[in-house]
Amino acid sequence: MSFITIKKLKFIEPSIKKAFKNRIFLTGFSLYMILVIACIIGSMITPRSLTIVGAVEPMLPPSNKHPLGTDILGRDILAQLYISTINSSKIGLIAALIGTFVGSFIGFVSGYYGKSLDFSLRILIDVFLSVPSLLFLVLISALVRVVTIEMMALLIAAFSWPWPARQVRAQVLSLKEREFVYLAKLSGEGGPEIIIRELMPHLIPWMIANFVNAYLVAILTEAGLSILGLGPQMDITLGIMLWWALSHAAIFRGLWWWWTPPIILLIYSFFTLYLIQIGLTEIINPRAKVM
Amino acid sequence: MGSTLRYIVGRLALYVLTIYVSATLIFIIPRLVPGDPLTIYYDQLREAGAIRGTAEMIDEYRKMFGLDKDILTQYFSFLYQLIRGELGYSITQFPTKVSDLIMRALPWSIGLLSVTTIISWLLGTLIGAIAGWFRESKASQILATSALFLSTIPYYILAIILIFVFAYTLRLFPASGGHSPGITPGLSFTFIQNVLWHSFLPALSILLSSLTWWLLSMRAMISTIKGEDFVIMAEAKGLQRSKIMWSYAIRNAILPQATGLALSMSRIFAGALITEVIFGYPGLGTLIVTAIRSVDYFLIQGTVLLSIVAVATANLFIELLYPLIDPRIRYRGS
Repeated sequence: MSFITIKKLKFIEPSIKKAFKNRIFLTGFSLYMILVIACIIGSMITPRSLTIVGAVEPMLPPSNKHPLGTDILGRDILAQLYISTINSSKIGLIAALIGTFVGSFIGFVSGYYGKSLDFSLRILIDVFLSVPSLLFLVLISALVRVVTIEMMALLIAAFSWPWPARQVRAQVLSLKEREFVYLAKLSGEGGPEIIIRELMPHLIPWMIANFVNAYLVAILTEAGLSILGLGPQMDITLGIMLWWALSHAAIFRGLWWWWTPPIILLIYSFFTLYLIQIGLTEIINPRAKVM
Repeated sequence: MGSTLRYIVGRLALYVLTIYVSATLIFIIPRLVPGDPLTIYYDQLREAGAIRGTAEMIDEYRKMFGLDKDILTQYFSFLYQLIRGELGYSITQFPTKVSDLIMRALPWSIGLLSVTTIISWLLGTLIGAIAGWFRESKASQILATSALFLSTIPYYILAIILIFVFAYTLRLFPASGGHSPGITPGLSFTFIQNVLWHSFLPALSILLSSLTWWLLSMRAMISTIKGEDFVIMAEAKGLQRSKIMWSYAIRNAILPQATGLALSMSRIFAGALITEVIFGYPGLGTLIVTAIRSVDYFLIQGTVLLSIVAVATANLFIELLYPLIDPRIRYRGS
């Protein structure tokens, strides 16, 4: 067991090293991490009671006591921002983990075993890729009444596996014809062993790129659904904060300190995550110069 | 020839299967929710004070819509109606047909999205081509970087920012609605002017968010092609630079762009979901969300299916036509 772990780490290490040598990746990664860590620390030193309706005086502009003011329902905005950012990234994390894992699994199985299994899995992938996911997410979340962060994440994950699955499958199809796979087969390795020990190390960069992509799309989707009022109703996320602000006409009441912070943090998150993505693309395919 | 046929049959099968699976999902998902739309409607009537006769009326309605039959009968009659292109009646806005509601919303979405999509495609492709051709220049790099930054802003956030700038601060354009309440719809000059005035902000938000996408993809493609051997060869032959750009680079890059355009045009039939809701724009997107919120089975089925069929059909045409247009691509079997 320990032998496998060490061997796997050896394979992962170079891609991590390469990633941190890439300037664009490093910038995006550190900027995003600063946001998340700042919000985690912030949420620990700020009493959670400030985010309950009626906790403080409503509609206060920014002051020393409330650095970003309060909203119409009497909640501290900065305190909400901390929790919202953490919740939004939690949704991204859960959805991306499940999506990438399930997607890669299907991709590996479909690509490696081929034949009728591949045939049916490929149809499944193709059908899910051509179904408009946002439409279905709106449909499901409106009818099911999503209440928690975890439910939202699971819902988004249900539509985030086909893309990684297709990518991994395509890679596996070309990899499995290589000599080292034949050699492994001749030396008696079985299917699961070949997938984990021979194929997986080559696909780690792809899987990480897919993970970041799924992470970004999950946060994007959640915010979009929440703006429609279809987000998790028991929790707050950046999208939900925006929905509260919009449904109380914050823009037209001049409550700029209410609706701008979630917008700024969303743009900041997307921009930094996008930088990570560009960096990863450059690492995987050094010829593709995006910037 | 055998592989061509297999390719075509495969694509057709996938097309039918996608629509069938989506249709089944659209049938099942709303019915998983406890309580049918009529129960919800009944509760609303009761809250409004109606007591006598409502229960009987609801039962009558249920019979009329066929909701009293078992689920399998409902499913098969749904599929049968679907094949005949029959969308049925809206439950919440009863005697109105689903197709009438769609026809009422469709012109709004088509007007808004076709104009913005074409303008943004033309502008983006043209600017992207020029920026790709001169990719080493400072201006091109600044343009690409700012487009990249702009493209990371989601379209719904762009919409909110535009509302703040143009509707709240400058007070130039209305923040929501398709036209002013007092105006009678018709082909009068004032009405058209009013509609254009109202659609400016949603149009601008769609334009800005899609423009950057076209621009960046065209720029990337042109600059890749510029490094290819046949362009270097053309330069070595001493061909005019403008000729190389138009008939070598742009001609090769236009195909993927055109594919993207076709796909975007097909999405018109889904409406601009979130944008339309934010701006209170009376198009298909708003209709879909209204249908879903009121659990109107037949309206959901009609609107969602329309958009799925449109996208799937566009996909099918692209995949079948692509090998004909681009000789480098062949039909692949399997």
